[in-house]
Amino acid sequence: MSTISSSYRVQYDVRPAKQVERRMLVDALQRLAAAGFPVADYQYTGFGAIYFVDFILFHKALGMSKLVSLEQVKSLTSRMMFNRPFSCVDIKMVPASSEIPNLSRDVSHLVWLDYDGVLQKDFLSDIQSAITVLPAGSILLVTVDVEPPEDHDYRLVDPHFDSSKEVLGPKHWKRYFEYHASSYLKLGLSDTDFGKSELILRSTEILKAAFTKSIVARPELQFLPMFNFAYRDSHSMLTMGGMIAGRTEKRQLRASNIRETVYYRDDFGSPPFEIKVPCLTRKERVYLDREMPCADDWVPGDFDLDPEDIRHYRDIYRFLPTFAEISI
Amino acid sequence: MKYASAEVRKQFFIEMFTRDISLEDCVLDLIDNSLDSYLLKHETSISQLVFGTDGNPKADDLGKIDVTCNERQVKVVDTCGGIVRRRAMGEVFCFGHDEDDQRGKLGAYGVGMKRALFKIGNNFHIVSRTPKEGFEVTFRLDEWAETKEWNIPIKFIEGADLEKKAGTSITVTELHNEVALRIKEGGVPNNILDDAATTYPYFLGQCVRLRINDTDVNPEPIKLGELHGVLRAASEKFEQDGVKVTLAATVAPGQRTAEEAGWYILCNGRVVVRADKTNLTGWANELASFQPKYRSFVGIASFESDDPLSLPWTTTKRDLNRESSVFIRARGLMATMSKPILTFLNSQYSSDTTVEVADIRDAVGGVKEVSFKDIAAKPTTGFLYTPPKRKEKRVEWVRFQADVSSLDKVRRHLRRPNMGAGEIGKLTLSHYVKTECGE
Repeated sequence: MSTISSSYRVQYDVRPAKQVERRMLVDALQRLAAAGFPVADYQYTGFGAIYFVDFILFHKALGMSKLVSLEQVKSLTSRMMFNRPFSCVDIKMVPASSEIPNLSRDVSHLVWLDYDGVLQKDFLSDIQSAITVLPAGSILLVTVDVEPPEDHDYRLVDPHFDSSKEVLGPKHWKRYFEYHASSYLKLGLSDTDFGKSELILRSTEILKAAFTKSIVARPELQFLPMFNFAYRDSHSMLTMGGMIAGRTEKRQLRASNIRETVYYRDDFGSPPFEIKVPCLTRKERVYLDREMPCADDWVPGDFDLDPEDIRHYRDIYRFLPTFAEISI
Repeated sequence: MKYASAEVRKQFFIEMFTRDISLEDCVLDLIDNSLDSYLLKHETSISQLVFGTDGNPKADDLGKIDVTCNERQVKVVDTCGGIVRRRAMGEVFCFGHDEDDQRGKLGAYGVGMKRALFKIGNNFHIVSRTPKEGFEVTFRLDEWAETKEWNIPIKFIEGADLEKKAGTSITVTELHNEVALRIKEGGVPNNILDDAATTYPYFLGQCVRLRINDTDVNPEPIKLGELHGVLRAASEKFEQDGVKVTLAATVAPGQRTAEEAGWYILCNGRVVVRADKTNLTGWANELASFQPKYRSFVGIASFESDDPLSLPWTTTKRDLNRESSVFIRARGLMATMSKPILTFLNSQYSSDTTVEVADIRDAVGGVKEVSFKDIAAKPTTGFLYTPPKRKEKRVEWVRFQADVSSLDKVRRHLRRPNMGAGEIGKLTLSHYVKTECGE
């Protein structure tokens, strides 16, 4: 978590791609529940900020009632308490690193380390801690910003960096990632491997390495990849996650129908599921919805739309929220 | 098919094998042998020593180990029970253990005593007596090195009769020049004393009394701390591959130096790594690099097994085998347990001197000593800090400057020219509360 909470910067509840991601997670968890995972009894630990969108969704749609929201920006305490949506949401004003070792080993967990910053050491260390302590059947999700590190991020690496004299570029970003995650990076990477468009790939590799490296300490368990979302509302973001599983959980997961979904990713080597939200009017959406799920080559007869947009829409229409202004 | 020679050469054991261990650690290896005899004879478990009830064993029940170290000889004499002839004939002088050997708790590899002897000198005299039987071995390394045989001449002697007298004496004379030189230089006996005090805190006074050059070695316990209702130590336990692992991490009591801070790693109760702040235990890797502000951090990782080969120690018993799967798992937990403690200790140094920061400083200052066994006996938990609940303030100081003319107005109004300023303050506040606040 960055020290300036994103609660001050991001209007969480109106980010369409993020909301699609949340709803896909709900869909996935419903499928896991159907396959025998006691999802309603899982403890959800996340960063609810002042909006608690994920908490509201998981409580209402999945029946989860062990809910813990973590926040380390103390000045948000009263607003978090004020905005607490349900009495079953426990608010703890501590960083994830302090809470993870205290997570009960007797219940399964859904832990979403939904960071709003670019990958940094502390995130990797939280992943290591979570994988070290979470019991089998638990799910760990990690979200990071995959935009290039900004001036204030880079100053951690080089306190003398002067943005009036130098503009950050791949050379600096390489240094940034080497500073935070050297032991997770592949050997032989050059500056061009840290170009803006490559950063999602580097972040994916680092997170994958963090999951793999951490589970090694528990030879009886595996980390089974499940999610690899790439999306963009204002910033490009990446969410990766999976299940800490023993043999039983692995068998159960294989038997579930989550594998049939478009978003499921059981291999972090394959490309992420990109949540792309086409810009559509309400009228167009109603029109498209009547044809969903459509055939691969279907195009609307009444207006022109890029076939790519139709494909993207087909993937997400079930999960896409509708925003409207209402007067209360 | 032709075969190339792959035979073992004595020179390897005499010249190479001895280079990777310090003189002090060689002497500790000999002490390990004595301790092993005691543990074997008394069937003492490591769990009992580390986590058992505090007993006050009678001085007479303790085994005695006397170490003499000077430029003429290094001698270790114990009354720890002695070595039976069967083990002397088939195990004790072999390099490495056989599968059927009776293993000790501290002698994992079957090399410590031999390496120590070869490192120290040329002439060895070993006498060992159980109550029933005894043996004696005398040999010179230079003569033994010239023969092809791997045997060592042994003479059977009478037993000690009495339990109390049963024990082993190892004397090395004709010290190698470099060893004699180091001892002459001074400091070696002191080093051995210091090392033994920090290596055997769970053995000294509990099963043996150790003396180095007639000076008693007092154990230096690893101090852990908690503060009732405010600070609770982190603890974890697991068992893997026959190794029982117990971990505790917390804030240490009292004034600490940076040298004492870090992780202490025990293998079968013996401190193998002391106050580690390197990436061996996660520092500067999963954790921040050590800084003096973390000097109150302390952690113990205890690895315990009936098969000492399963433990993650190296042959010198001064380092860990990083590839050990049980250590890899423990290391992950150690880093996880440490992080909240470092965050907590760090928060003492916040630039805002708020009440919360003062509470944290008070908590660190108020930590009381608690034993490893007490922490291990409680359910596992992460490090917990519960800030003290503040009592609601009933009264508060009101202090301000007032114009004398205003105060005089009140005095005149009340016709009390000598009324004090404090009294006027109280009266006006009370008047305001009554007339404006509805009370």
